[in-house]
Amino acid sequence: MSDTEKLVVSSSPHLKDERTVSTAMRDVFIALMPITLVAIYFYQIYAVFLVAVCLITAVLTELLFRKMLNKKPALHDWSALLTGLFVALLFTATSPWWKAAIATFIAVGIAKELMGGLGWNRFNPALFGRVSLIILAPLFAYVDGWFAPLAVNLGSVDVFTQATPLAMLHMGVEMPSIGQLFLAYPGGALSEVSPLALLIGAAYLFYRGHINWRIPVSILATVVVLTLIAGQNPLYHLFTGGMMIGAFFMATDWVSSPFTDKGKLIFGVGIGILIVVFRLGLSPTEGVAFAILIMNAFVPLIERKTSRPQFGKIKAVPVPMAENKG
Amino acid sequence: MNLNKPGVNKVEVKQFLGGIHVPHYKSFSEHKAIKETSLPEEIIIPLLQHTGAPNEPLVKVGDKVKAGQKIGATDKFISAPVHASLSGTVTAIEPRPFMTGQMIESIVIAVDKDQDGLELADNDLDSVTKEDIVKAVREAGIVGMGGAAFPTSVKLSPPPDKMVDALIINGCECEPYLTCDHRIMLEMPEQLLQGVKLLMKVLGVEKAYICIEDNKDDAIEAVRQKNDNPNIILLRMPTKYPQGSEKHLVKAALDREIPSGGLPFDVGTLIQNVGTCVAVYEAVKFNKPLIERVVAVTGQNIKEPQNLMVKIGTPLSHLIAECDGIIEEPAKVVVGGPMTGKAQETLEVPVVKGTTGVVVLPPEMALEDMEYFDCVRCCKCVEHCPMLIYPNQISIYCEAGMVKEADEWNTMDCIECGICAYVCPSKRPITQLVQLTKPLIRDLVSK
Repeated sequence: MSDTEKLVVSSSPHLKDERTVSTAMRDVFIALMPITLVAIYFYQIYAVFLVAVCLITAVLTELLFRKMLNKKPALHDWSALLTGLFVALLFTATSPWWKAAIATFIAVGIAKELMGGLGWNRFNPALFGRVSLIILAPLFAYVDGWFAPLAVNLGSVDVFTQATPLAMLHMGVEMPSIGQLFLAYPGGALSEVSPLALLIGAAYLFYRGHINWRIPVSILATVVVLTLIAGQNPLYHLFTGGMMIGAFFMATDWVSSPFTDKGKLIFGVGIGILIVVFRLGLSPTEGVAFAILIMNAFVPLIERKTSRPQFGKIKAVPVPMAENKG
Repeated sequence: MNLNKPGVNKVEVKQFLGGIHVPHYKSFSEHKAIKETSLPEEIIIPLLQHTGAPNEPLVKVGDKVKAGQKIGATDKFISAPVHASLSGTVTAIEPRPFMTGQMIESIVIAVDKDQDGLELADNDLDSVTKEDIVKAVREAGIVGMGGAAFPTSVKLSPPPDKMVDALIINGCECEPYLTCDHRIMLEMPEQLLQGVKLLMKVLGVEKAYICIEDNKDDAIEAVRQKNDNPNIILLRMPTKYPQGSEKHLVKAALDREIPSGGLPFDVGTLIQNVGTCVAVYEAVKFNKPLIERVVAVTGQNIKEPQNLMVKIGTPLSHLIAECDGIIEEPAKVVVGGPMTGKAQETLEVPVVKGTTGVVVLPPEMALEDMEYFDCVRCCKCVEHCPMLIYPNQISIYCEAGMVKEADEWNTMDCIECGICAYVCPSKRPITQLVQLTKPLIRDLVSK
């Protein structure tokens, strides 16, 4: 018929919400700006350099892998940039840049693209990349020498030689005040400088409806309860190490966290327990990263066991008039 | 609102879980009074415009037919006869495009320039019996006018083991854009209430609940003023899509949950659309067959949005011309609401008994099926799904053709409301994937 060319046909629904994956990822990027800026304030050129290295590596890795996999480039979804920024924030400012670059390469190339791309990665890519480097550390002891000529001299580093608060906590030395830790206290990874800046970013994500309260609240509550039982000050645990970025940004990653409401709580409690076990029993650092990655592996099982009954399957429905008339 | 007058209730309804606030877009036509449509040159009466068995034609090419004459019928129980909506000459009995995109055997009538009015009876409503009402409804060819088009006479004959104690009248009209039910409630409250009383009589129920969303307070007030029966209760429902879905309406109004795979009968209720109630009244009072209905012709892309009283069989092209045409092409013409309606390939499709509206969307909203991406498990669909299933998992299994897994995740419970595809940031066509997979699941289960 003559009007077929002027009429557009597609399946229902004919209305679509404006939000897309790109806007959501961009929102997470925006939410990370406060912590990135605070990190840059403290570590200046070191932080800028590290972030730039990771962003560039992330983009190049994604282009390379998608080319190899015969897929269209998907830079517009911001996910590669986001993973790059996350990896940068997980490193200390003085980390050799090639380590951060390799971590980013593993995160974007292996943990994300080779797993099937955004949506199919079982593990949080940034944490996977970061933890790979920790596990490969003995290997790097061998090869560090090869990379040494690539080191970039950015000037004096004396600000950063102090121990991280988490290590101080573990050694039992005098701690900075809680208030100072909460506002900003340099030491450790870029993301560890200011719990306040991370909370501002997290508040933005809540406001935009991208993260659900269940995961962060269950992690933090579990940590508070368990550290109290262990006789420690829970606030020191909350405001040090990767706790804040882990609870609000890493564990809440859409792709690698459960989609059931009950499952989110179980996932969060599991992460909380593992964090406390790692922090009190094992090495003082990276407990959060390991805890999240381990719980990532349980996500499909948790989802199966916690799926809700659908409408009409809740229980037998009483019909009031049966008593009146029957 | 005065809560002491008869028929007025307090606002005490339960919220169902899930659902979403979609933009209403009702302002285009909600204040336009229902207007008669001019005579079309040709009408197309599909022999199957209800859920059930198709009708056989009772006329042949060349026959003269009169308005209101029955021209298609069948002996099958689940069916509704069709009538000529205007006088004229049968020019063809052949498959014609239908709003679902299929070709349906239809009776085409060239409409006479001069039309005699319908001969109407004037029956006494107090003396009619249950049997009279069901028979009149059957003869008039009445079907559910909210869109599903299930034969009303069948609904009024519930199986003997099912008891019905509450009648629910659906005036929610939760789909964006649509305003036909709104106008019916505003302009025909007396006929509506008479129809409700007749339905209560057939079913022998004591209480009827007229459910209207709170974005139509003028309609609530109009019906309230004419209501003299304290057993007809007006419920002011929260405006939330899909409030008008029968499962969610029963849940919200009576806090009863229709079991998975069940019908409203299973929880002692029956649901009728407000337009159907008016049609029942006219059928019983005047012996008037269902030959016309109110259709909202609306959207950003139609010059003069209207609520039209349309003869069944009128082609969409005539309605669009009646509203001064489409503003800008390419347009998308949707029959029904934009969440569940069907986009049309041709405007030669006729208005049928279940046509609630014609929504004309502008080029910027008339997107073809968009490029979509993998599920990123954001849980937006899980959060808003009113059936409390997991559209994310379902979409993945349906896309992969994993029929058994799709069934295990309760795909068959999906009511195809479209919310998941509406909210999906990856723009996944979840509803469409479900529609394509449901027949495969039926095959698998029946094996």
